[in-house]
Amino acid sequence: MGDAPMNERAPRFPTRAMLAPLALVVLLGAAVLVRPGDDGGALLLANPDRTRVAELHAAFAALPEAPLVLIGMDADLGTYPEVRVAVRAAFSDLQARDARLAFVSFTPEGRAIAGAELDRLRGAGFGDDQLLDLGFIAGAEAGMVRAVTDLLPAGVAGSLADAIREADAGMGAFDLALVVGGGELGPRTWVEQVGTRLPGLAIAAIVPTLAQPELAPYLRTGQLVALLATLRDSAAYAADVAEGATGAPERVPSALAMLLGMLVALGALGRGVASGLWGVPSGPGGGAGTSDRHRGGGPATDADAATDAGNPDGDVATDAERASDTDAATAAEVEQDTATAADVDEEGDGDGDAGAAGAADSSDRATGSEPEGDTR
Amino acid sequence: MSGFLGSDLAGMTATWVAALATIVVWSYLLGERRLFRLAQHLLAGLATGYLVLLAVREVLLPRLLEPLGRDPAGNLLLLPALALVAALAGARWLPRQVVALPVAVLVGGTAAFALGGAVAGTLLPQLAASVLRPGAPLTVANGLIGLGITGLVLLGFLHGVPRSRVTGAAAGAGHWLLIGAIGGWLGFLLVSRLALLVDRLGFLLGDWLGVAR
Repeated sequence: MGDAPMNERAPRFPTRAMLAPLALVVLLGAAVLVRPGDDGGALLLANPDRTRVAELHAAFAALPEAPLVLIGMDADLGTYPEVRVAVRAAFSDLQARDARLAFVSFTPEGRAIAGAELDRLRGAGFGDDQLLDLGFIAGAEAGMVRAVTDLLPAGVAGSLADAIREADAGMGAFDLALVVGGGELGPRTWVEQVGTRLPGLAIAAIVPTLAQPELAPYLRTGQLVALLATLRDSAAYAADVAEGATGAPERVPSALAMLLGMLVALGALGRGVASGLWGVPSGPGGGAGTSDRHRGGGPATDADAATDAGNPDGDVATDAERASDTDAATAAEVEQDTATAADVDEEGDGDGDAGAAGAADSSDRATGSEPEGDTR
Repeated sequence: MSGFLGSDLAGMTATWVAALATIVVWSYLLGERRLFRLAQHLLAGLATGYLVLLAVREVLLPRLLEPLGRDPAGNLLLLPALALVAALAGARWLPRQVVALPVAVLVGGTAAFALGGAVAGTLLPQLAASVLRPGAPLTVANGLIGLGITGLVLLGFLHGVPRSRVTGAAAGAGHWLLIGAIGGWLGFLLVSRLALLVDRLGFLLGDWLGVAR
């Protein structure tokens, strides 16, 4: 889609296909405004299964007095809002335990988030003797390996820096590493590069839902002592921490909006399956699905191509054939959109991910956004 | 809601910029491409500027140039590093053989660390954890199921090998199991992205418009 010429104009009136995502946004927006009561009722987002939350509590409870905690802030700007609630709850939890936090980042995006969070924490009452900014360390895995023994930047001073310097000057000085993942170098890299060199350093992780399947095995082997990897676990943990904390708690995403969004997604999925099995038209207006959307100039993703009726492989020719009854300019646009989607699909498949993973990632790319690099 | 933006003038300005940027990106849903393209250019420009700033302020100056300037004799190893950086920076004008050296060091080093870590930190521990050991019946059953699924999925990747009817059926089952796993992963992806959309709506309605605080 990114190949669309700059001078293309939007149609004068939005088509039904274009109004569908707008309607979804309005629906979710309305749901956000509806807030549950104090007890939350049936719409509580927090996971009633507290296993993961208990593991994080246990990891924090095992810390000594005034522990040194290394925060590996390598979140991704795109997915950080999902884990922000849990991350801030963890900071509050650690603050209540008089923990001293040192922030380090191995990705540029993580560095940006670390800087913003450090500013916020200073404003929230963390003292200078409780926070240390170790900055950004370049070199990906190689930089991380070096940081195991040489973490302190030259010239850094203060009581916290002195404590680290006296203990080890590397990661061995810390009682716990809390890794906030989502970017290229996440908890898996920490386990592989740091965990193998410092088996005594406990590593806990907070990551977006997306990383749950990848990281759950490390929890089973004990390479991670705790893992918060779903929104529901994050909400449960944040609720736990908020109970004993003062001040306004972090707000979790609206459970009603999440529920409605899931129902809409399930409906779209069911429609796509039905169209694949029985040829039921899957697109708005009962037409050719996303081809109609393309006619309206809406975003074309390879997920669109893949869900087109009878076209599970995102075959370009099929879409183009469907467009044959439209005027020439529209057909060209459809071809351009679908060709872009197909190109992107090839990239997605070729990057070593599972096919659907590439396809899902590439839908981001097809809509013109930057690849997030959060799947490896 | 994000907690990053204060209530002073700077924070309010930042909130407005963030809200307008969100709306500009969403305008793509209605087919407005020019504004969307503008947002893309803005993102690319900001990201490039940020990366340059980060490289200069947090890598090149404090970890390369300043130590060299302060104590050249004590940091002799940084001289070849400086040469490699210069070779990469001047790649456009230098012979390919010269540029190949830093690139080879870069690629080789990264691959070596990544591969070594993957073997020592993932492959071996995960293999060890997957070994079936005597234990509670549920644990053994769990391990057996894992073993069965792994075997079937691996069979699903058998291509170009003559298959018997049984092998073919097993490979087919492995193929569907793989699709099921990918479907599950896409479910995680959906929840993840939905949470982001809802969070953004919360930002617009709460931080910006003030109706959902």
